[in-house]
Amino acid sequence: MKRLLLFSSLIFALFPPTLPAQNVDSATLLHPPADSWPTYNGEYSGQRFSKLDQINSSNVNSLALAWASHFDFGAQSFAQQANEGRRIKASPLLVDGVLYFTITDNVWAIDARSGREIWHYAWPNNNAIHVANRGLGIYGSWLYFMTPDDYLVSLNAKDGTERWRVQIADVKQDFFSASAPLIIGNHVLVGPGNNDDIRAFLESRDPATGALQWRWWVDPDPGAPGSQTWSDNATMMKGGGFPWLNGTYDSELNLYYLGTGNGVPMDRPPHPTPDGDSLYTASIVALNPDTGKLVWAYQVTPHDTHDYDAAQMPILFDAEFNGKPRKLVAQISRNGYFFLLDRVTGEHLLTTKFMPQTNWAKGIDAQGRPIPDYTKDANPPGALVSPYPIGATNWWAPSYDPKLGLLYANAARTWAYFTTAGYGRFRFPPQYVTVAIDYKTGKVVWSHELGDQSAVLIAGLITTAGNLLFTGDSTGNFMALDPSTGKTLWHVGLGQYVTNAPITYMLDGRQYVLVAANDTFFAFALPEPPAGAGQSASAKHR
Amino acid sequence: MVLLVSTVTAVRAQAPAVDPAAAARGKGIFGANCSFCHGAQATGTEQAPNLLRSPLVFQDKGGDVLGPFLKTGRPTLGMPSFASLAPAQVSDIAAFLHQRLTEVRGKRLPEAALLVGNADAGRAYFNGPGKCSTCHSPTGDLAGIGTKLQPLALTTAFLTPQAKPEQVRVTLPSGEAVSGTLKFMDEFTVALIDSSGTYHSWVRSSVKSVDVTDPLAAHKEMLPHYTDTEIHNLLAYLVTLK
Repeated sequence: MKRLLLFSSLIFALFPPTLPAQNVDSATLLHPPADSWPTYNGEYSGQRFSKLDQINSSNVNSLALAWASHFDFGAQSFAQQANEGRRIKASPLLVDGVLYFTITDNVWAIDARSGREIWHYAWPNNNAIHVANRGLGIYGSWLYFMTPDDYLVSLNAKDGTERWRVQIADVKQDFFSASAPLIIGNHVLVGPGNNDDIRAFLESRDPATGALQWRWWVDPDPGAPGSQTWSDNATMMKGGGFPWLNGTYDSELNLYYLGTGNGVPMDRPPHPTPDGDSLYTASIVALNPDTGKLVWAYQVTPHDTHDYDAAQMPILFDAEFNGKPRKLVAQISRNGYFFLLDRVTGEHLLTTKFMPQTNWAKGIDAQGRPIPDYTKDANPPGALVSPYPIGATNWWAPSYDPKLGLLYANAARTWAYFTTAGYGRFRFPPQYVTVAIDYKTGKVVWSHELGDQSAVLIAGLITTAGNLLFTGDSTGNFMALDPSTGKTLWHVGLGQYVTNAPITYMLDGRQYVLVAANDTFFAFALPEPPAGAGQSASAKHR
Repeated sequence: MVLLVSTVTAVRAQAPAVDPAAAARGKGIFGANCSFCHGAQATGTEQAPNLLRSPLVFQDKGGDVLGPFLKTGRPTLGMPSFASLAPAQVSDIAAFLHQRLTEVRGKRLPEAALLVGNADAGRAYFNGPGKCSTCHSPTGDLAGIGTKLQPLALTTAFLTPQAKPEQVRVTLPSGEAVSGTLKFMDEFTVALIDSSGTYHSWVRSSVKSVDVTDPLAAHKEMLPHYTDTEIHNLLAYLVTLK
C-alpha cells in the first residue's frame, strides 16, 4: 500500500492535482461519445455493440497487449477473504481518459492510456456477503457505487473523496448489494439482493443528495394487481424476486426495463394453480423511471422452483418482425428460453428454447410462457433437471449485433438432480458455450464451445462494427470470434479466466479492447505505428 | 400412493429439528471464530470451503462429528485447531450450520426416501436401454455396490460420476501418433502424459487430429435420455446388489 500511495503522490507531482473536468450529463448518457463508456453497458440499450471498427476482422490477428495492470486492495479488506468478491466483475466506466471500476468494497480511478492508478477508495471492512460488485454509475462529476453492506456511496470522480453515503437496506437482515447503479435523468436506480424470504424492491435516489425518490416493490401490496398470483399475503410480502442486475432504458418511451429475481422460498405454496405464478418475480418489467410505476410486466418463469431468475439483461433494439418495424426487447434467460417482446406494450412475440436439453417445462402457454412441469421440482425420490440452478445463462453480459440481427450470450449445458433426501453432490461440471440467436426465429444459428473446466465461466460479451465478438472461455483464453459464424479469429491466453464483460473505446485515435481476469486488467490495441509514421497513421484512424 | 405418503411422513418425523435458540447463539460464535475464512453465511471463501457442502457437516448430529474435528483441525490444509471451544459452543455452531443447511437446501429426508423404484424394472433397464451392462456387471465391478454406497451416493455415482482420466491420441502431420493420458486441452492446445511419464504438448492447429476417449462419455450421453422413473428403478435395482 505504501508503494501505491507514493506512486499516487508522484502522479500528482507530475500532473495537475485534479483530473480534467468530468461533466457527464443526461445527453452524454443518452449519446455516449466513442471515447467514453459511461454506463454499465456503455449505453442504455444493453446491446454492447460498439460502432468502432479500427480493430476489425481483417487486422485482429495483429492485436497486441497495450498494458496490463494488477490491483491489490490491501489486507484491510474483507473482500480479500471472499472468493467471488475479490474478482473484477465490474464493467469499468470510461470518462475523459479515466477508467473507474470496483471490486467489492473498493473503487479505483485508473489512467485508460496506461492502467496506472490515479486514486483508490476503500470502504471499511464489513461482514456482508461479498459476492461481487458490478461497477459504478457517473453523473456530472460524481460517482455512485453500492457497498456489500447496502450503502449507496457518492464519490468525487476527480479525487475519490466521499460526498455522502445513504443506507438503502439493512445488512443485519442479510441484504447485500452488488449491482452497478444506473443513472437515468435525475434518478440513481439501485437495488440490493437477499437470499432469504424477504420482500424485494428497487429504489430511485436523488443524485445530488441520495434522498429516496421512489421504491417499487417486486411483490405487490395486498389486493393490488398481481397479488392474486400468490397463495397468501404473508408469503407474498416476503416473496423475494430481487432485481440484482441493472437494466436498460428507452428514452423515447421513458421506460426502464429490468429483469426480476426468482420467488422464494422455492417450495412456497401453492403449486400450479391458475393463480400461483408469484408476480412480479422472474419477470421482465417496464417501469416509469420518474415514478417507479409498473407499466407492463411479462413473466418468463411462472412460479419458479429452480432458482431461474430473470435478472438477465433485457436487450433493446428496433428491427423488423413479421414484416413490421418493431421496438423490441429480448432476453436470453436463465431458464433456458429466449424471449422476444414488443417493448412498447409487452406483447409477446416469440419464445424458443436456446439450450435444447432444458426440461423443467412441459410446453409453452398461450402467452409464450414455459409451463412448469412440477414433477421436476425437488421431491423425495428426485428429478433430473436441466438447467441446474446457476442457469442456462446468468449475469454474463449478452450482446446484440444490429448488422447481423443476432443476439449472443455465454451459456452453460448443465444438469442437476433435485431431491429432498440427504445431502450430496448433484451435478456435472457445466459445459460452456457461446450461442448466437437469430432474433427473428429464436433459433441458435451457431454455437462455440468454451470448454468444460469446472471453474465457473462468467465472461460477458461485446460485438463491434469491426465484425468482431470478444469473449473469454473456461480455460483462460480471451478471444475474438467472427459474429457471423462463431469462428475464432484471434486469441490470447490470460492465464486466468475472464471475469467481466469486455469494453472497447477510442483514445488518441487508437481503439482499445479492455477485459479483466480476476484482479488484473488487460488492454489490447493494434501495434503502434513505427516512429515517424505516427501522425499519418493516427490521422488515418480518425 | 397412500403407503408412500405415510412412509414419507414417518421419515420426516425422524428428521432432526434445529433448536432456534442454539442456532442463534451458534451464529454469533461462528461469526467470531469461523466466518473470516468460511464466510459469514458458511458458504466459503478463497481460503476455506463451503461448509454447506461439507460431508462432515452432513454427518454431524449436535456436534458429535464437528467436536472431535475442531479439537485438531486440519493443519496441513490451513485449518487451525479450535480446541478452546467448549462442547456447548460446538453444538451451537452445529445448530447454526444445520439451520443454514435447511435454509439453503430445504428440509431433508433420510435417503430411504429415494427408494421408490421397481428393482425388476431397474434390472431390465440396466441390461437393456440403459446399456449399463455394456461396461458394468452386477457380479463384477458392481458387486456389493448396494452395501458400499448409500442411496444418494449411488444415484450420484451413476448420474454424475467423478471425472476419470481421459485418454487421448494425437496424430501429427507426419502420420505419427502419440497416445497417453490427457493432461490439458482447450480450443488451442493439447497436452498429454505418455506411458513413460513424459509430458508432451502441441498447438492444436499444428496437428492432424486429436481423438479423446472419455471413459464417462456413456454416462454423459445418457443425461438427456433418462426419465426420472428409470433413474428411480435403476437405483432400486442397484441397492439390491449387496
